[in-house]
Amino acid sequence: MSKSDKVVILQAVADGAAAIVADKLNFTYNPKSPFSKQALKDVTLTVNRGEFVAIVGHTGSGKTTFVQHLNALIRVQSGGLFVLDHNLSAKKVDLKALRGSVGMVFQYPEYQLFADTVLDDVCFGLKNFGITDKDKREQLAKNALELVGMDFDKVKNKSPFDLSGGEKRRVALAGVLAMEPQILVMDEPTAGLDPRGKREILSLVSSINRHKGVTVVMVSHDMNEVYENADRIIVFRDGEVAYDTTPRQLFKKEDEIVSMNLEIPHMAKFCNELERQGYVIPDDCKTVEQVFDAVLALKGGVGNA
Amino acid sequence: MLKDVTFGQYYPADSFIHRMDARVKLLLCLLFMVGIFFVTSFVGFAFITVFLIMLVASSRVPLRSILKSVKGILVLLLLTVILNIFFTKTGTLLCKWWIFEIYDGGLYFAAKMFLRLTYLVVGSSVLTLTTTPVDLTHAIESLLKPLKVIKVPVHEIALIMSLTLSLIPGLIDETDRIIRAQKARGASFDTGGLVKRAKAFVPILIPLLVGGFRRAEELANAMNSRCYEGATKRTQMRIMKLSWRDFVATFIALLFFVTVFVVYGMSYQWNNTEWLLTNGGEWLIVNGINWLYF
Repeated sequence: MSKSDKVVILQAVADGAAAIVADKLNFTYNPKSPFSKQALKDVTLTVNRGEFVAIVGHTGSGKTTFVQHLNALIRVQSGGLFVLDHNLSAKKVDLKALRGSVGMVFQYPEYQLFADTVLDDVCFGLKNFGITDKDKREQLAKNALELVGMDFDKVKNKSPFDLSGGEKRRVALAGVLAMEPQILVMDEPTAGLDPRGKREILSLVSSINRHKGVTVVMVSHDMNEVYENADRIIVFRDGEVAYDTTPRQLFKKEDEIVSMNLEIPHMAKFCNELERQGYVIPDDCKTVEQVFDAVLALKGGVGNA
Repeated sequence: MLKDVTFGQYYPADSFIHRMDARVKLLLCLLFMVGIFFVTSFVGFAFITVFLIMLVASSRVPLRSILKSVKGILVLLLLTVILNIFFTKTGTLLCKWWIFEIYDGGLYFAAKMFLRLTYLVVGSSVLTLTTTPVDLTHAIESLLKPLKVIKVPVHEIALIMSLTLSLIPGLIDETDRIIRAQKARGASFDTGGLVKRAKAFVPILIPLLVGGFRRAEELANAMNSRCYEGATKRTQMRIMKLSWRDFVATFIALLFFVTVFVVYGMSYQWNNTEWLLTNGGEWLIVNGINWLYF
């Protein structure tokens, strides 16, 4: 990358338009050994502030590797990566500040719970990021727990191990949200939950995205949830960015999607079929309700004519 | 990051020694360990050296991996050598400084002790480097079978050993994941004083422990739901069979040890109590080390 490119990218970040800018990011596991495996190849992408971006791809396509770059759990080997106002390809990165503003929720986050009480666990991150005032910590923890739909006074002194699976996950999520991150990175946040738990987590995430302006990057295998919630979908294939487009546009390429072993969401199939029949469904209609309304409008239109 | 930690020492290769029956390897290794205590002369050590060179060469394990395990007991080796040099007071006095006296007997003794310990480790590491932990457990189970007569739960012991071994890679993965998750919540493991650092491990250890119990319970349920019953005449997936290699190896090994015993017999001039006094302590130390290694 030339110096001037770098400046341009930095400016984009400084403008506040972009939250994440990756430029020709490469990563190889076990470099220079017989086990070496290139996980990322020239990954170039931008995530704007306030956007809800989903990252999908087959197992081993590099999505988790990419996501772990975002808060420097994996350090940049080559290429450029800017997250908020941090240059992650620089030698020195202020890890505390970065990790405080990029919240990372791993797969099965409930397995990271450890403290005696729910309150202590949610406060763990706050303590680490230097919030020394106990009352302030408790206030932030309270906000986060209420945000994830838990009754603060009821659960704060409970052991996290006494909660149900879904509650544990919400507490773990609260542990990340309490830090009030500007970017929320999630690796399959709904894996292993029942349909209701899934819906709850997803509506929570999209409300955080919409109402608090938090940028969300979500890795998922569930095309239906990705389709309905994300503004944009980035498809990884063999460590490269294969597609980077809106959900509707992406799933119009049915054959290509299927050939990558990805599923077509139900609603996308339905809309594609309608469009093949000659009906026009607006691009922002993704959920059952939205499509239902669109179809009603079409019918009404026909009736009126 | 933690994935670099390989469990056990197994070095995958296809060699004569790798293909031998684990039981035979284990028995010969025990024979070697016992036999090496009958080596008292440098001639005897020369024989053993030749034997070990043959052994290592035919195992196709790089010398570096073997020396690595010797490195593991380096401190112990040095300590034994130093103690033996200063505290053996036989033979002629070579030099004296303050309360330290060095006799030539001490030097000989230290040198032999050094060789003995080193060779013990080399011998046993050839076993662990060429045999997978799973095969080793099977071998132990098979060799302990006679103890069933006196109601020792041999099968269960072997099962516990192999289950433990099979859970370790999963636990390593999980540790890795938990470390990353806590790091993402701002945990740091390499700053602060000793107490702070020790405390920093609590957020890793507790989820790991909880996870360990969870896995154990899942496994127990999985076994129960398949109606697992311990030692009721189970067949083995991998049946261990003796082959010509095992007979050849046993023959060569026995040949060497007979030679060693003959050399030992020729220098047979001991008085029972003296031997016990000088060698009894070593026995304990060395057996202790072997216990650590298995």
